[in-house]
Amino acid sequence: MKRTPYRLAALLLGLLGLGLAAFQAFAQQEQPGVSNDSCLACHADPNLSMLLQNGGQLSLFIDPEVFAQSVHGQGGYACVQCHTGLRGYPHPSFQAADRRDLSLQLYAACQRCHSGEYQRTLDSAHEQARDRGVREAAVCTDCHGAHDTRQLTDAQNGALLPESRSWIPQTCARCHNAIYEKYLTSVHGAALLEEDNPDVPTCIDCHGVHSIEDPTTAAFRLRSPQLCAGCHTDPERMGKYGLTTQVLDTYVADFHGTTVTLFEKQSADADTNKPVCFDCHGVHDIRRTDDPVRGLQVRENLLARCQVCHPGASSNFPDAWLSHYVPSAERYPLVFAVDTFYKFFIPVVLGGMGLIVALDASWRVRRRLAGRRKPRAAPASPGQPPKAGSGPQQEPPSG
Amino acid sequence: MSQARPPMPRESVPPVRTERTFQRFTRGQRWEHGLLLVAFTVLLLTGLPQKYRAAAWSQHILATPERVELLRTIHRAAAVLLILEVVYHLGHALWLMSRRRLPGAMLPTWQDVRDAAGMLRYLLYLSKAKPRFGKYNFEQKFTYWFLFFGLGILIASGLILWFPLFFTRFLPGGIIPAAKFAHSTEAIVAGGFVLLWHFYHVHVERLNLSMFTGRLSEEEMRQQHPLEHERLMAEADPEAQAE
Repeated sequence: MKRTPYRLAALLLGLLGLGLAAFQAFAQQEQPGVSNDSCLACHADPNLSMLLQNGGQLSLFIDPEVFAQSVHGQGGYACVQCHTGLRGYPHPSFQAADRRDLSLQLYAACQRCHSGEYQRTLDSAHEQARDRGVREAAVCTDCHGAHDTRQLTDAQNGALLPESRSWIPQTCARCHNAIYEKYLTSVHGAALLEEDNPDVPTCIDCHGVHSIEDPTTAAFRLRSPQLCAGCHTDPERMGKYGLTTQVLDTYVADFHGTTVTLFEKQSADADTNKPVCFDCHGVHDIRRTDDPVRGLQVRENLLARCQVCHPGASSNFPDAWLSHYVPSAERYPLVFAVDTFYKFFIPVVLGGMGLIVALDASWRVRRRLAGRRKPRAAPASPGQPPKAGSGPQQEPPSG
Repeated sequence: MSQARPPMPRESVPPVRTERTFQRFTRGQRWEHGLLLVAFTVLLLTGLPQKYRAAAWSQHILATPERVELLRTIHRAAAVLLILEVVYHLGHALWLMSRRRLPGAMLPTWQDVRDAAGMLRYLLYLSKAKPRFGKYNFEQKFTYWFLFFGLGILIASGLILWFPLFFTRFLPGGIIPAAKFAHSTEAIVAGGFVLLWHFYHVHVERLNLSMFTGRLSEEEMRQQHPLEHERLMAEADPEAQAE
């Protein structure tokens, strides 16, 4: 009986020892068995290449300078940490149908270290496109590069480095060039690429990173006003440019915004033709509203937007939308007048009526109480409604 | 309009208690009230979720685009019913007017203002005598005219909201947000008015079902509308009243 605890302790110690040994063996296996110099002995040769199954040539040259400057080179990572399974010399030959097949085979290696980012890409529009058979849809290395991967975030706090910001649209542009061209003309894109403005959004501020969502869904559409509002209701950021932060509130107060925000909360996948921010302001080609050519302050531009959904709208029609203004005596005096009228009308009329009703009711209650105290003042005619005939003292002579 | 039912006393039978009743509303007027009641209620019930669209209870009702569409369709169907009723009401009044038969009893007079002041004095124990009313007292006239103009505002603003493209062809665009505000606020005023003023006077103060039965008893006529009662009695039997 007494020895049992010792036995248990011995057993646990033994198990722990075994576990440690196994971990060490595992860790040793993970250690790079092959130095980068060994790899570069062959792969630093600019003429090294292999034949792909489709007959194309694939250069196997790795520029040691480029790799040394990459984030992984600076971190001292070994080739075989990504190119696993290549040990000893000669290593097994590598088979790929074509260049894209090669990338698609190799990019999964990233998840060994960057599993969080990799997992997030599984929900992305790029992953969905690849599932549909679009092989070109981006994988890790398409954006980050393979041997020339850049340091994009602050190593300390994970924040995006300022110099990475303009790199982002240029990277997306490799595939989405038409959108990039539009973005360059927009108020956001121009500010980013011309003056390195830190406040304007890059692609990922709206579309996200890694888990990049399909922006053509009904859900994305319904959520998009909140996306814009993220910056456009921030007083600090908007204050710098003299922009109002009431854009969301005034939108939500109007027909369109009411419906959109309602569906956003209640049925996130609902299809609605109600306009969201980008239907009027543009998607990637967002201009200042006072842009002399395309701005919404130009009446014809706004009317044209209205007519997309309201064909036959006259030139008066755009004023039905308060242009994000809160009605005041100067702006939209008619709405302001109606508002002001009811501010006085409601308390005066409903309040006055309430007062008369309260007076009448209290008079009736007091009369009934008085009637109860004086039982001899019996109702003159039973079967009549309470008022008729009860309390003859107070009732004026009738008939 | 008295319906005198003279008692027929007989020696052997104990006296039967008879009650004279007076017609207050015609069948047509009661139908109109019924239509108004149904349309008004449906409009209020389908309009409130649209007005308080930010509230949780409302969003529960308006959860999907199909439901919003359904609610708006019901609202507009009830609006059509209400408009038809108002058109009939006005048309009927014009028709009566063209035959010089439109009764003026519902028209507001200075006497109504004096009656309202008198009633207030009476309720404040400043006066012993309660004002004596004719066919329609000031409260009933106020109900009629308040809803008359209220429905006018609601119908006009509602039509502007329904057909914005048509109305902005000749009116400034700002008329639409103005109509939206007027419509939703006036609806609350009208709803509050019916609940507070109308329901109090026909249900709480006394149960007055004459709008459904069409009739008031002689006792009620004497109590509530003494001047009208006297007038009717004099009409029916001038000599008896002259005594």
